[in-house]
Amino acid sequence: MSQTQLSSSSDTVLVGTGQLIEQLLKGEFICKVTNEDGLRALKNPQTRERVEDYLNQINRTVCSAAEGDVFFCGYLQLGDAERKVVSSQFKEVCAALVPMVEWLLLVQEANGQDEPLREGMPIRLTDLQTCIEDTPAFSEQLAKLSGYRLFGSNSSSTDGQLKLVFKRLVDLGYLIKPNAEKQLFIATGKIDYLYEVIRFIDETEGLNLEAQAETATQRDLL
Amino acid sequence: MSNNLHQAGVKLLKQLGRHADVVMDVYLSGSINEGQHDDKVVEKLKKSGILWRPEPDQDLRLKRSVRALLEEALSDERNRQIDANVGSALATIKTLADHYKEARANSDYSASEAYLADLNEHVYSFTDSLRYSVRVLWGRINNEFGYVGSISAKIRENELAQSQVTELLNGLDMFQFSELGEIAGDIRQLRKLLITNMQETLSQCTQELSVVQARLFELLGRFRQIQGRTRLLKGWLLHNDLHPDYVVNDHVSHNNIAPLFNCSEPLLAAAHVDVQNPQHELDLLDIVAQVKAINHTDKPLNTRETEVAFSLDDTQEFAIPDNPLKQAVDEYFCAIIDSGQAQSALEYLAQKQLPWDSESWIYQVIGGYEGLPEEHKRFFELEPLGEPDPIYSGNYIIHDVELWLA
Repeated sequence: MSQTQLSSSSDTVLVGTGQLIEQLLKGEFICKVTNEDGLRALKNPQTRERVEDYLNQINRTVCSAAEGDVFFCGYLQLGDAERKVVSSQFKEVCAALVPMVEWLLLVQEANGQDEPLREGMPIRLTDLQTCIEDTPAFSEQLAKLSGYRLFGSNSSSTDGQLKLVFKRLVDLGYLIKPNAEKQLFIATGKIDYLYEVIRFIDETEGLNLEAQAETATQRDLL
Repeated sequence: MSNNLHQAGVKLLKQLGRHADVVMDVYLSGSINEGQHDDKVVEKLKKSGILWRPEPDQDLRLKRSVRALLEEALSDERNRQIDANVGSALATIKTLADHYKEARANSDYSASEAYLADLNEHVYSFTDSLRYSVRVLWGRINNEFGYVGSISAKIRENELAQSQVTELLNGLDMFQFSELGEIAGDIRQLRKLLITNMQETLSQCTQELSVVQARLFELLGRFRQIQGRTRLLKGWLLHNDLHPDYVVNDHVSHNNIAPLFNCSEPLLAAAHVDVQNPQHELDLLDIVAQVKAINHTDKPLNTRETEVAFSLDDTQEFAIPDNPLKQAVDEYFCAIIDSGQAQSALEYLAQKQLPWDSESWIYQVIGGYEGLPEEHKRFFELEPLGEPDPIYSGNYIIHDVELWLA
């Protein structure tokens, strides 16, 4: 009796991890916003091991970022082919950094928030649009950043630029749109991953970005 | 003396009550707009020490004690004043205890009573102010310093609160219970007041203050992280602006790649359909049902491989050979006309020894009769021959039909 119960419970866990493994193999980032159950499963050592066992068979492993709140799929062993992939992915991330940072600051400033976007924070597209349209400086920034190759918009209207940028961000996994009818977007853990990438570059290259920003703001205050 | 005090106190409170509007206006706006209120009232309040003028050319303000009373009673969150002066409270308590002991030793009971009451008052107000300070700190933590707008202001507020906590904790360290124990000696009231009562409150407050301190650190960390992220983003853009030819180092060319950049490529594509799986059958049928066949008209028409020429000729005559059964029925009808006698279909069949099955014969006869044009039909009568079913009522079994001339 107890054995059957045990086997049935492990079965349901397997069903749950199936979807999780699929998401990982699709290159998606697992966080509280994209898959809360999956995140919990990965935080649990038992299920994590199960997923890890599965992925190890195809030279993949579970990697984590943002203090263990974001998970993604990486290579277990890096051969020449894998290095090539990692290197091209890295180049992609680096190319996305400037447009993404400009976008993050635009959203933060347009919404008048102290805090830049992080996982779980909502953005109401209509509010943002009104604010950007009302402020010429913001619409200029938007026009500039929507022209980057990452977004690739050649629309001249704020509406068109904004819609395309958000669509691209959803496609890239930085945002999700929980309800197809509503213009509400939620930031995913991939945004937090981005901060970590910048911080990593900052620390390893000794750029002192925070200090640079602070001296600049102090100069502005003077 | 005490009667005078009582009367004066009542008078002051009544005054406060009477001019509550003015007092609250001043409390909320910080200073009084002298033109707005009655000069007499303002003068009275000034005289009784509720309003005061800090500088000759400044507006009138509320006295600190009245303000503190209101802040505490209204739990106003703007209140960030904390009385961390434990040292003076401790000194007062010690002094009063000494007075009490002296009066007791001199058997001056009325004086010792008065000192004890005073001492009680001081100890209780001290513990109360401690508890109040902790409460104020919690209030500020719980709304995350919501009364100031920006993150840097929140960080400054947090630092202020941290310094206040440190001061309070330092002050509490000054309490040496061994020393208080010596002062209290073996006097029961003093021991109860100074040791039991105080120790309980102090240990509670110290405990709570350490929790407060931890929470403040945590909050400060979070604020710093938020601030750090904004600065990180701004710094990144600034750096890119200042160094237009800056390219990120190739962090993945080392032997050890940081786990952060170890992203595998997407591997999974959509799976294929298994048409053999009976469990999927319904779903697949659904999907197939939704498939729309779209025939585009611009698709080239199929042309015949060989052109077949054809011409319009006169239609060739053709005849459909009559069914022999039908001809036999026609003959049966003619036989009836010739003889003028009623004859059943089966009799005719037997008489002529026709090769057809009796049932199909009867059907053909009925069909032939019904198929006649209306004016011909009127010449005949067709009567079914049969009987009701022996078991099932309402059923009529036909064995034969009889035809005669009407």
